[in-house]
Amino acid sequence: MRSEFSRGSESVDNDWPTLLCDNRRSGGQAPQAWRAPQKSLWQASVEGGVRSAPVLRDGILYVTSLAGYLTAINARTGKVQWRFNAKSPIHSTPSLSLEQVFFTSDDGKLHAIEASSGAKKWDVQAGGEAWASPIVSNSTIFFGDASGHLYAVNSGNGAMQWKRDLGGKIYSSVCVSGERVFVGCGSGDVYCMDSRSGKILWKTSTGSGIDSSPAVMNGALFVGSLDFFFYAIDTESGAIHWKFEAELGISASPAVSGDAVVFGCKAGILRALNTQTGKLMWAQRLGQAITAPAAISGSTVWLQSGLTYALNLSDGSIVWRARLGYSLQSVPVVTESAVYLTSMEGDVYALG
Amino acid sequence: MIDRRQFVKRTCLGGFALCLDHWATSPAYGQDLIPPVPPIHVTEPVGASRSRLAMPGLFPGRVIEIADSQAIVNNRVSQTVIRGMLEHALRELTGAKDVREAWSKFVEPKDIVGIKINPSGAPACCSSPEIVREIVAGVHSAGVPLQNIHVYDRYAYEIDVGSYQTLVPLGVRVVGVEDRKLDPAGYDANIYCEANFFGEWETRSYMASIVSSNLTKIINVPTMKDHSAAGVTGCLKNLGYGTFNNVDRSHRRPFSFTDPLIGIMCSVEPLRSKAVLHVMDGMRMLWHGGPLNQNPKFIFPAGVLMVGTDPVAMDTIELEKIEAKRSKESVPSVWSRDPKSLTDNGDEFYEDATKNLFYRQPHHIAAAGKLGLGTSDLKMIDHRVLGAGG
Repeated sequence: MRSEFSRGSESVDNDWPTLLCDNRRSGGQAPQAWRAPQKSLWQASVEGGVRSAPVLRDGILYVTSLAGYLTAINARTGKVQWRFNAKSPIHSTPSLSLEQVFFTSDDGKLHAIEASSGAKKWDVQAGGEAWASPIVSNSTIFFGDASGHLYAVNSGNGAMQWKRDLGGKIYSSVCVSGERVFVGCGSGDVYCMDSRSGKILWKTSTGSGIDSSPAVMNGALFVGSLDFFFYAIDTESGAIHWKFEAELGISASPAVSGDAVVFGCKAGILRALNTQTGKLMWAQRLGQAITAPAAISGSTVWLQSGLTYALNLSDGSIVWRARLGYSLQSVPVVTESAVYLTSMEGDVYALG
Repeated sequence: MIDRRQFVKRTCLGGFALCLDHWATSPAYGQDLIPPVPPIHVTEPVGASRSRLAMPGLFPGRVIEIADSQAIVNNRVSQTVIRGMLEHALRELTGAKDVREAWSKFVEPKDIVGIKINPSGAPACCSSPEIVREIVAGVHSAGVPLQNIHVYDRYAYEIDVGSYQTLVPLGVRVVGVEDRKLDPAGYDANIYCEANFFGEWETRSYMASIVSSNLTKIINVPTMKDHSAAGVTGCLKNLGYGTFNNVDRSHRRPFSFTDPLIGIMCSVEPLRSKAVLHVMDGMRMLWHGGPLNQNPKFIFPAGVLMVGTDPVAMDTIELEKIEAKRSKESVPSVWSRDPKSLTDNGDEFYEDATKNLFYRQPHHIAAAGKLGLGTSDLKMIDHRVLGAGG
């Protein structure tokens, strides 16, 4: 499965503007062939530990930290461009849209920051602690908080478009497909809402709370529950296509590529299931509880679960691993020229 | 702002006095010539009167144990079964006619209540979110607003692995005192235990500010686990080492000063006064490799719950249970002092129940008893075992 890809003479990093790459939370799918990282291109450090994933656009990496900073780092050199202090811990992964960076903070604020300078544009106060990552679609930002509300906010000026009480804490990040937004809830329910009105189109219940952020592919919504089951749900009706039982709860978000949906469970097992049937394609025991989403790049699955792993998408075999700090929730950003990683200690790595 | 509290320093000669009988008979210490426990200095507030609910609490020496084979099925804890078990046990403990009356003996509507969980073995063996939810419901039934109930532990990242944020009811705050990066911000600089065990550079352990300043009552929710250094981790260790920082320094292979440090920490005010009830989660009993082992072969789905106000009595019963299970599995006692059982290989320790990293120190329980925190004499413990639905 190993094959080299040729690197161009200039660094062309693919944008990765939101958690798990895109609004469907696919977790990657860039068509790169596998190439093992050979060396550290640079290593930087941000203030405070990092629980979120980095995002990337136009050669700038954006990283949030528990010390309350959003830090912009030159992806080629590792040099810090600017920092913004939100004055509250940040668990959320930022999202990028037009010239702005959006993220939530533990004090319940949604922040809009100018991407080029780090200047504050506006902020909006939500009702509770906000860890879930915002998502931007059609000039609207969607995010949930621990008060159980889902919010739709105008990305230009921060005006509230609608908010909906879902009755359970929201630590799951929204995904968007067309005019529909999807989110999981601490009550155990998965919701589908109309993105323009916030009207609930359907609700499907699982047996426990939901931490996992759903992903959408080909009319199916994929999400894990703390009831130990992984679900494939019809995006139109909310009917359950199939469900797969793991050994312990599932808080990690899935990544989808082709016929495979990949997710980890708290028993430390990473699995790939067939998206149509739910049939097991492979399972790989990694030992430590998996709470981080996987990212898929071509034929490779990337995961940070204690160690950082690269696995073969076709059979789950481990093709590369490294001890690069410690991470439980971050997701690597995989581009043609580099893989970017963060650690709980606040380190940021570029591997090439 | 000037802190107007006054603080006093006391020196616990207990480091010697509490443990002399045990240490004098321990061949390992004679063979390995470890230094004696150094004096442990405690700096704590003065002038605060000890609460009538202070450990050993309203029911010294009483331990209520309840088991139900349906409490944990297919590795899932049943919310419904747990509810019945906890209510039954609390009524037995307090003599109250209903569960609301039982909870009202420990908390009042004006209280700020902390639920001290043990997430360190998450996800395999940690305080069950189902039990935490029932405790939240019980405290709330006594008139405490949900916003004044905090689920907390020292380590935020371990709480995250357990998904407690998502699983507790709306309104309840989940607080991690510190992140993986050592951060003194969550600790009270005025309340600490000080000792130099192994020549460490930082000799102080500070009390978490949430305990010293924010909370008025604490419900302790330990798990039932073996502990490689302390012997078992139960009520006392979950409270002491879950309240003070920089505690790993008390044990360096193969030696452990968890005895007497655990008990001394639990005796420090205001922790002693605020910890009013203990609900021990024995849904999954970890009988080897604690506190972090995730190896399923050492996790026994015991389906047990214990409640009481006396942490020493509860840990004494827990120790008996861990010992009984280890004996049944034909592995060495937690009291073993055989140097051949020691290993420096963590992987071996996590796989082989005959191996350990330290000479375990379960005597910390009796030492805590000598500090007045409760009863460790089995003959004096009022241990009541309830059956399912009884």
